[in-house]
Amino acid sequence: MNRRVVSKTEVVADAKPPKKSRLSLRAWREQHLYSFFSSLGRLSARPWATTLTLAVLSLALAFPLLFWLLLDNARGLSGTVEDARSISVFLKVGTDMPAVNAMAEKLRHHPDVTSVVVKSPEQGLEEFRAHSGFADALNVLHYNPLPALLIVDPRAASAGDVDPAPALVEEFGRDPAVDQVQYDAQWKQRLNAILQLAQRGAAVLAVLLGLAALLVIGNTVRLDIQGRADEIAVMQLLGADNGFVRRPFLYIGFWYGALAGVLSLILIGFVEWALAAPLTALASSYDHRFGVHGLSIAQMGIVFVASAVLGWLGAWIAASRHIALGQPT
Amino acid sequence: MIRFEHVSKRYSAHHDALVELNFELGAGEMAFITGHSGAGKSTLLKLVALLERPTRGKVVVNGHDHGKLRRGRIPQARRGIGMVFQDHRLLMDRSVFDNVALPLLIAGTSREETAKRVRASLDKVGLLGREAEPPVNLSTGEQQRVGIARAIVVKPPVLIADEPTGNLDPQLSAEIMALFGEFQQVGTTVLIASHDLPLVKRMGKRVLVLDHGKLIDDFKPTSRPA
Repeated sequence: MNRRVVSKTEVVADAKPPKKSRLSLRAWREQHLYSFFSSLGRLSARPWATTLTLAVLSLALAFPLLFWLLLDNARGLSGTVEDARSISVFLKVGTDMPAVNAMAEKLRHHPDVTSVVVKSPEQGLEEFRAHSGFADALNVLHYNPLPALLIVDPRAASAGDVDPAPALVEEFGRDPAVDQVQYDAQWKQRLNAILQLAQRGAAVLAVLLGLAALLVIGNTVRLDIQGRADEIAVMQLLGADNGFVRRPFLYIGFWYGALAGVLSLILIGFVEWALAAPLTALASSYDHRFGVHGLSIAQMGIVFVASAVLGWLGAWIAASRHIALGQPT
Repeated sequence: MIRFEHVSKRYSAHHDALVELNFELGAGEMAFITGHSGAGKSTLLKLVALLERPTRGKVVVNGHDHGKLRRGRIPQARRGIGMVFQDHRLLMDRSVFDNVALPLLIAGTSREETAKRVRASLDKVGLLGREAEPPVNLSTGEQQRVGIARAIVVKPPVLIADEPTGNLDPQLSAEIMALFGEFQQVGTTVLIASHDLPLVKRMGKRVLVLDHGKLIDDFKPTSRPA
């Protein structure tokens, strides 16, 4: 018994138990730095597997982004078809000018019409020659194939009132002298509806592919955790808490997400570059009535941050599910 | 330092690993646990290392009651217990230095202090100068020494070892055991499971003998060796 007393004094003198209950800020920083670099080391230790995972991830991120970019550009295009509320009434070919003018006069007195502009077939031909680039082809024709055109501006619908335009379109269509009625606003409405649908589709696609990215990262991290089960067990035996064991895996997720984000931005940049020349040519043929734009710097920043967060999150889900073993219940 | 009060560990209805164990190891005391395989040596060490909790009774190590310790406090409690394994359990993809430094990294020791302590620890086991090598370059005995260096680098009050000489020849075994004796002399409580009876006898320390989960003998040396 007295032996025990002697040795107790020794322990006080020599073996100081580590009594820190909370890690200092410096220790915290050092552990994060360690995880930061060791996770990079783990990724570079398996370059092929890492590259493959990154390729899948960056494609999953780039697809919805490209789709969204396409829609954003299409939206700009539909915006340039400025509030085209006018109704184009094409009369049958061969209707003589007095009849055309009489019809215009009649329409001017319609209560739902504010103005009518008459375009004779000759005027139409001139405009067509000037803008379409088919001047030579038109010269071959011995007659004017164009109809007379009435451009009718309907009364603007005031608040709480029914838009009179659709009714007008129908009314004009019933006239036997009328060949075809074209209402741009209707076309624009349809385009907008289609764009809205596509935009919703892009959002759904983005969510699904984002989920896929999350699963890919989660699964990669899960496999990594399984491959390092021995190492994790040793660390836990040495007193590592779950946070310490989890941290390198979270950084791996972060690296996957961040690198995939950069790669997807490069991919989008490449697509933009590949399409730039033909798109500019197309735009110039439309008198530059629409411009093509890519991602802004701020949007790129958002993509980068979002993908890094996504990676971290995927790793966190996998790590919290698969670590925490090796502790008694 | 290590106290077992009426400790039983039951894995299943037909398997009692430990039955009504009572013993106490004071600070700076060194003891061996022997017994045939399956007698409960490993289970006893697992209870000390917090790998298992007792089914009944009380296990107190470093002042922590292992039965009542919350899960979140387990890692902290383990840092006060150095562990040496038969198969040393080194991380083979890291250098000797990194292996020994791991407990310090976990404990949040500064880099300068870590370097100092790792070197001191390796010096103690006679492997100073081998820090940069991977463990595969070392012999089995040397690997076990690295495992010991890792266990003592945080200067834990309690050091436990499960068959630390199981894979070593008699000469190396004696050297390793002598090393453990040195740690006891600086005040560490040392508990070693071993079935190498001749070696255990030669050490002249306290010996706990287990049989079918029961403590059947507790030899205490009559005089404390220097």
